[in-house]
Amino acid sequence: MFSKEKTIMEEDRVRFICKRTVVSTRSVEPGRLYHFSVLDHVMEPNQIRLVYYYKTSKTREPGEITKKLRESLAYTLNCYPIITGRLVKETDGKEEKEDVILRWKVKSNDAGMRMVEARAAGSVEEWLRSVTREEELKLVHWEDMYHLHYYWSTFNVQVTEFESGGLAIGLSCSHLLADPVCAMMFMRAWADLTLSRSMMAPPLFHPLPPRRFANDGLISNNQLLSQYIKSCSLMVSPSNVAEDHMVTVTLLFPDPLVRAGENESAISTFEILAGLFWICVSRAKGKRNELMDMSLCLDVRKLLRLDQSYFGNCMVYHKVPYSKPVKTKDRLLLFHAVEEIQNITKRLDYDTVMDLIEWLSSNNGAISNGSDLVCTNLENMSHPRPMMFEEDLVLRHMSCYVKGPVAGGGQVIVLPSPSGKGPKSRVVMISLPQREMTKVVEDELLLSFSPVILMKNTK
Amino acid sequence: MPDQAPMPEFSSSVKLKYVKLGYQYLVNHFLSFLLIPIMAIVAVELLRMGPEEILNVWNSLEFDLVQVLCSSFFVIFISTVYFMSKPRTIYLVDYSCYKPPVTCRVPFATFMEHSRLILKDKPKSVEFQMRILERSGLGEETCLPPAIHYIPPTPTMDAARSEAQMVIFTAMDDLFEKTGLKPKDVDILIVNCSLFSPTPSLSAMVINKYKLRSNIKSFNLSGMGCSAGLISVDLARDLLQVHPNSNAIIVSTEIITPNYYQGNERAMLLPNCLFRMGAAAILMSNRRSDRWRAKYKLSHLVRTHRGADDKSFFCVYEQEDREGHVGINLSKDLMAIAGEALKANITTIGPLVLPASEQLLFLLSLIGRKIFNPKLKPYIPDFKLAFEHFCIHAGGRAVIDELQKNLQLSGEHVEASRMTLHRFGNTSSSSLWYELSYIEAKGRMRRGDRVWQIAFGSGFKCNSAVWKCNRTIKTPKDGPWSDCIDRYPVFIPEVVKL
Repeated sequence: MFSKEKTIMEEDRVRFICKRTVVSTRSVEPGRLYHFSVLDHVMEPNQIRLVYYYKTSKTREPGEITKKLRESLAYTLNCYPIITGRLVKETDGKEEKEDVILRWKVKSNDAGMRMVEARAAGSVEEWLRSVTREEELKLVHWEDMYHLHYYWSTFNVQVTEFESGGLAIGLSCSHLLADPVCAMMFMRAWADLTLSRSMMAPPLFHPLPPRRFANDGLISNNQLLSQYIKSCSLMVSPSNVAEDHMVTVTLLFPDPLVRAGENESAISTFEILAGLFWICVSRAKGKRNELMDMSLCLDVRKLLRLDQSYFGNCMVYHKVPYSKPVKTKDRLLLFHAVEEIQNITKRLDYDTVMDLIEWLSSNNGAISNGSDLVCTNLENMSHPRPMMFEEDLVLRHMSCYVKGPVAGGGQVIVLPSPSGKGPKSRVVMISLPQREMTKVVEDELLLSFSPVILMKNTK
Repeated sequence: MPDQAPMPEFSSSVKLKYVKLGYQYLVNHFLSFLLIPIMAIVAVELLRMGPEEILNVWNSLEFDLVQVLCSSFFVIFISTVYFMSKPRTIYLVDYSCYKPPVTCRVPFATFMEHSRLILKDKPKSVEFQMRILERSGLGEETCLPPAIHYIPPTPTMDAARSEAQMVIFTAMDDLFEKTGLKPKDVDILIVNCSLFSPTPSLSAMVINKYKLRSNIKSFNLSGMGCSAGLISVDLARDLLQVHPNSNAIIVSTEIITPNYYQGNERAMLLPNCLFRMGAAAILMSNRRSDRWRAKYKLSHLVRTHRGADDKSFFCVYEQEDREGHVGINLSKDLMAIAGEALKANITTIGPLVLPASEQLLFLLSLIGRKIFNPKLKPYIPDFKLAFEHFCIHAGGRAVIDELQKNLQLSGEHVEASRMTLHRFGNTSSSSLWYELSYIEAKGRMRRGDRVWQIAFGSGFKCNSAVWKCNRTIKTPKDGPWSDCIDRYPVFIPEVVKL
């Protein structure tokens, strides 16, 4: 009986149908070149994968919803010339003569974006019950950059229809063009257009605004800046965990604030969860006297007074130092950890980030998080209006993966939970090496928060 | 001195223009010029004779009853024979062109990218395609059917059938709506599609979809190339002469899906770059009741076939390449052969449509060449005097350039052809109808205007149709050009940098 189950699991549940290119419905003005900001350039070696699951109550012809999505995607792409363009390393005559190193730009040539169509056996519910990281990544199409980058599509979409009902939409993109926030905003814009024929929040493309008021000098002790300086000059050793040995577990935390015993509204659920995982993962790594290195990935759009629909990278990585005692009771340790985290989240300010941006304007390099634990805050990506492509398609689950040097030695991504689970509940995706993962999921402190396992690591 | 030289030229060219105008007026209205003096003399005579003298002359002619009756019967008999033997007027009631959905659009960059991904080991063929596309005269809004958008393309029979259904049924639905015709009233159905010929035929598919009558006369023309549209019109005309009080629907299309060449032979990659999705549905009728609402009357239709000449026969040839992929091989002397076929066609159609002034000049120059001096340049009749509008098959930029040169047409005359090539690509037999639709959308079609449609096809064939506009056509609200006509005409550069 067990061997039969195993074969069913190993058989490819996802069946590839076809691959094509979706182009915008209006032709673009030829020859425009879009520049990347310094925050974009620093994220170049990484990629993002998103998977959105929808369940439906209506039965449809196979391929019907895919066709509709393809058409609405063509209309959506009218607002995203950066996605339909291609990467080039040209000069537009505006650079100074000293700039010998040509950096990436996007040439808007109307080439379109790749779309893959697939079918999957079973229903969305069955899939979610038994899926693993490898299987989930089959729902997202990705191709590494071709030798001829002019023919490589930076964004890929995969629409997988489940035979017994439901839909999965996978989006993958190069981190050079977008961060998870704007990738999710793109999905939202696409959903709005499909549902109501109008886009509520069209994207904004513009360079990062310059400093508002001149500063007297760099802020002393700018930890954010020093972290980037170290990373860009390759003083950070790369992660010693190979990509394919990572496993991912998704947990739903119904009410983390209440479980932590915190009733103050000053602490956000992200801070609690980040603190929690900081402790659990450090313990899993065998650290008894200190907490491991951790970086927080934070969206700084609000800080820079940018609208949420600003399209481009706008997330920074900030290491959290820990200087308090470790050998205390769990609750106290958690309290200390949250305090240290709050030092960063509450005190990250405009000038700190602007110093970083100004430093990056004259220095190249890519940010790498070595073997740190990286906690990404995406909990504000929910919206009172649900993200639906059609009236009867209800968002069931959302997954997010980031691959590349910024993923560090382990990742914790805090996402909003689908509606119906409570406004304070959160979905957390944890990616760690296998051994650490088994210890983390059995950690007492973690279990005291009563998490519900949504996606486990079956081996 | 230098100032003097151009002046005489200018004044002489103006003088020449007036001489030409005078000559044309004289020859074309020769009979009326003869008639005027005769009528003047008769009128003067009548005025000279008083009313009594006229009455006397009338009474002196003794008419008795039998003579009067016989002569009147004779007159009635002659006129009846004349009216019965006159061919029926064939009307083009209305037509509709298929507008492809915007989601099927293929910009140059996407086409080149797909080509590069599919032909990864043949960069020279990709380069060749890029050069063709740059100089093709196509725009960024031409459309390919969904099956060709895949990487790699999947030209299955199912996909070809669904493309056929999509284009033909949309065009026909539009036609039925425009004309108010009920499917049960269709008497003749002709479908022409050169490269896709399934069983049951496309005409059977149409009959099945619209539940047409069981005694319908249906025809399916395949393999006849881009000139098949006019061949269908010719067939419809002949049938409408035989069947009184009938109407005929013609569907002209080319199904791209099964004919996408998947090899890498250069001469055979050309059609991939130029052929695009399109279709047209035309309603023709010989009913008297349609003469008020019909858009055009068919004046002449001339077909010329050069198949007897081997070079013409082999110039557009479908064959397998070395790897077994089937494609259409276009030979290098296609333009020369097209020019010859056109000359043959013009020789036949010239006498039918040219005004007497041009024909006389042509005759004189012919006599001069044959008898006096063979080196004399042949006189090319000025077809601009015979037609107000020209619809040249948008086979490619080279075809339009060649015909513009040969017929000495201005940019405005070939504007419809060039803009159709830019917006829709080479849609094969339906391109003539897109061009006609362009002229109507620009509001240039007035009552009495004559239109010349020229189509070239494999074989090698050159067919022409001459239509006369029956009523001034208001700019249509819908139609394939309705959303973009304001942007046209566009300047099409010689080479588009990709």
